[in-house]
Amino acid sequence: MKSMLSRSVLAVAAIALVAGIGQVKAQDKLHSYQSGNKEFWTHPPDDWFLGDETEAQKGLAPPSGPPTGASEAELAALIKKIQLPPGFKIEVWAPGVLAARQMAWGDKGTLFVGSFGLGNVYAITDKDGKREVKTVLKGLNMPTGIAFQDGALYVAAVNKVIRYDNAEANIDHLGEGTVVYDDMPSYAAHGWKYLAPDKDGWFYIPLGPPFNIGIPPTSVSQIRRVDPKTGNAQLVALGVRNSVGGDVDPRTGRYWFTENARDWLSDDTPSDKLNMISRLGEHFGYPYCHEGDIPDPKFAMGHKCSEFTPPVYKLGAHVAPLGMKFYTGDQFPAEYKNSILIAEHGSWNRHKYQGGRIVRITVDPDGKNAKQDVFATGWIEGDQGYLGRPDDIVLAKDGSILVADDWAGAIYRISYSK
Amino acid sequence: MRSGFFLQACCSLALSLSSLANAHAADAIAAGKEKADMCVGCHGENGISQTENIPSLAGQQDQFTQWQLVFFRSGARKNEQMQPIAEQVSNEDIRNLGAYFASLTPPKDPKPDDNPDLSKKGAQAAVGRRCASCHTDSYAGTKAVARLAGQREEYLVKALHDYKSGVRSGGAGAAMTDVAYPLSDEEITALAHYLAHL
Repeated sequence: MKSMLSRSVLAVAAIALVAGIGQVKAQDKLHSYQSGNKEFWTHPPDDWFLGDETEAQKGLAPPSGPPTGASEAELAALIKKIQLPPGFKIEVWAPGVLAARQMAWGDKGTLFVGSFGLGNVYAITDKDGKREVKTVLKGLNMPTGIAFQDGALYVAAVNKVIRYDNAEANIDHLGEGTVVYDDMPSYAAHGWKYLAPDKDGWFYIPLGPPFNIGIPPTSVSQIRRVDPKTGNAQLVALGVRNSVGGDVDPRTGRYWFTENARDWLSDDTPSDKLNMISRLGEHFGYPYCHEGDIPDPKFAMGHKCSEFTPPVYKLGAHVAPLGMKFYTGDQFPAEYKNSILIAEHGSWNRHKYQGGRIVRITVDPDGKNAKQDVFATGWIEGDQGYLGRPDDIVLAKDGSILVADDWAGAIYRISYSK
Repeated sequence: MRSGFFLQACCSLALSLSSLANAHAADAIAAGKEKADMCVGCHGENGISQTENIPSLAGQQDQFTQWQLVFFRSGARKNEQMQPIAEQVSNEDIRNLGAYFASLTPPKDPKPDDNPDLSKKGAQAAVGRRCASCHTDSYAGTKAVARLAGQREEYLVKALHDYKSGVRSGGAGAAMTDVAYPLSDEEITALAHYLAHL
C-alpha cells in the first residue's frame, strides 16, 4: 500500500517533470517550415524561417546593417583596411548611396544605381569634380536590377521591368515609365532581380524560388532571356536557386552567372557557384542536387547529380556571390583581360562569416581550367563583423571598376597604375 | 616597473578611448535632443506620446528608430504625416535622433493594470506566437527590432492590424506581416494590452 502510493506519486512527479521540460523544449524548438504551398509563397516568413533550422546552426539570422550606412569618417577608415594586389588602390567614389545594388552607366556619364529594400533608384553625376547623388525614383518594389540601353533606363523590380525613355535628359522627372515586361510572379523572397544585357539588347533575368529549399513553383528557379522591345521571353536555364549577378562572356557570347546555394545544411556545405550556360534549357540541379555533387537530403527525389550541369567553379560555402563582370578594360594588367570579377556579399548562415570581398576567376571560354585569386578583401572583421558588403561591379570608361556596397551604402572605385 | 608602466599606459589609453566613445555618444544625444524639438508636437515631451495612434519613442531601440526614418524618407514605409518630415532629415540627423530617443526612460503606465486577465491572455499569446524570439524576453527589443514594452496600447493594436492587412511595409515588414497575418482580433487586443502594461 505504502510502496504503491509512493510509486504512483513518484510516477506523477516524473510525468510532471518531463512535461515541464517538454514545455520548455517546445519553446526552444528548432524553427521549421512547410514551404510547399502558395500560402507560404505569398506570406513568407522572414529569412531565418526560410529553412529547417538545424541544431548545429541554430540561432543564425541575417544581420541588420547601419540604417544610414557608413559615415564618411567610417568609410575613410574602412578603405584603409581593404587589401589589394600590388599597384591597385581603392577610394570612396560616392558615399550616401543607401542600400546600393546594381549599377549601370548612362551614355552621358550618369551612374544609375538600384537599391535593396528602400524602393529607391539613384542617379550619380559629377558636379565640379564632386559626386552628386540624387534619388530619382522612389517607392518601387525592390528595384535592385538596373540597365541602360538606347538612351533609356531600365529598372527591374520584383515582378516588372520598367523603361524610362531619354533618362539622362529627364533625370529630374522620369515619371512613371513604361512597363516592358511583367510576366513574373510577385513572390518577395528571392524575388530581387538583376539585368544582364547581351549584344542583341535582350536581358538575362534570374528568378529565384520563394524559400530556401523545396519544389519551386514552375515560374521561378530559372533564368530567362527577355526582349524589352517586344516582351518576348525565352527560358534559358532551369534548376537555378538565387542568382543576383551574371555577365555575357565577350569571348563566346555565352551567359555566365553566380548562384547562391541553399542554407541550413551546414557551415561548410554546399558551395556557392559560378555557372555557365552552354545550351538552351540546361538544368543546374536545384533543388535536387547542390554544387554539382551533393544530393539534397530531402528533395533529391530519386535524381542523381550526374543528370545536371555542375558549376564551372565552386566559390565556397556561404560567400554569397552576387554581381559579376568580365573585365574587358585596358587599365588593369594584361592578365586581367577576360577574367571574371565577382562581388561576394558575405555570409549570414555560417558561424564564421566568409566572402565579403571580390574574387577573380580566370577560366577558359569552355569553362575549363578555372582558378581563383582573391582580388580585394577586408570587409569582414572578426567572426561576424561587417564593415561593408560588396554586391556589384561595373566597369568604368577608363578601365577602373566601381563596386557597390549595400551595407556601408557607398560606391568604391578600384584602379590600377604601374 | 616597465610592464607596470605599459599596463598603466594601456589602461589610460583604454579609458580615454572609451571616454572618447562616450563623448561621441553624448554629442549624438545632445544633437538629437535639439533636432527632436520638431518631434515633440506629435510624439510628446520626453518621447512619451499623449496622442492616440501616435507612438511613444522614449527608450526605443536606436537602430529601429533610424530604420523607420530611413523607410519614411524613401517612401518604403508610407505615412502622410511622417513622409514630408522625414524628407527633411539628413543621415546625421537620423543617427542623432536614434541615439537621443534610445537614451530616454521608456514609458511606464503609472496606473495599475485595469484588466489583468486580458494581460494574462496577452502573455500567453506572446509565448505562443514566439514574439520574444525577435523582441527579446523583456519585449524591450534589440538592434533593429522594436521595443514593445510600455508602448501605447491603441498604437500596438493599430500596428498589428496594419501589418496583418499589409498596409504597413518596409524592412522587417515581411516578418511582421507573416506573424500578424494569422492573428485574431482577440489576440491582437490581448497582446496590445499586455505589452502596453509592461
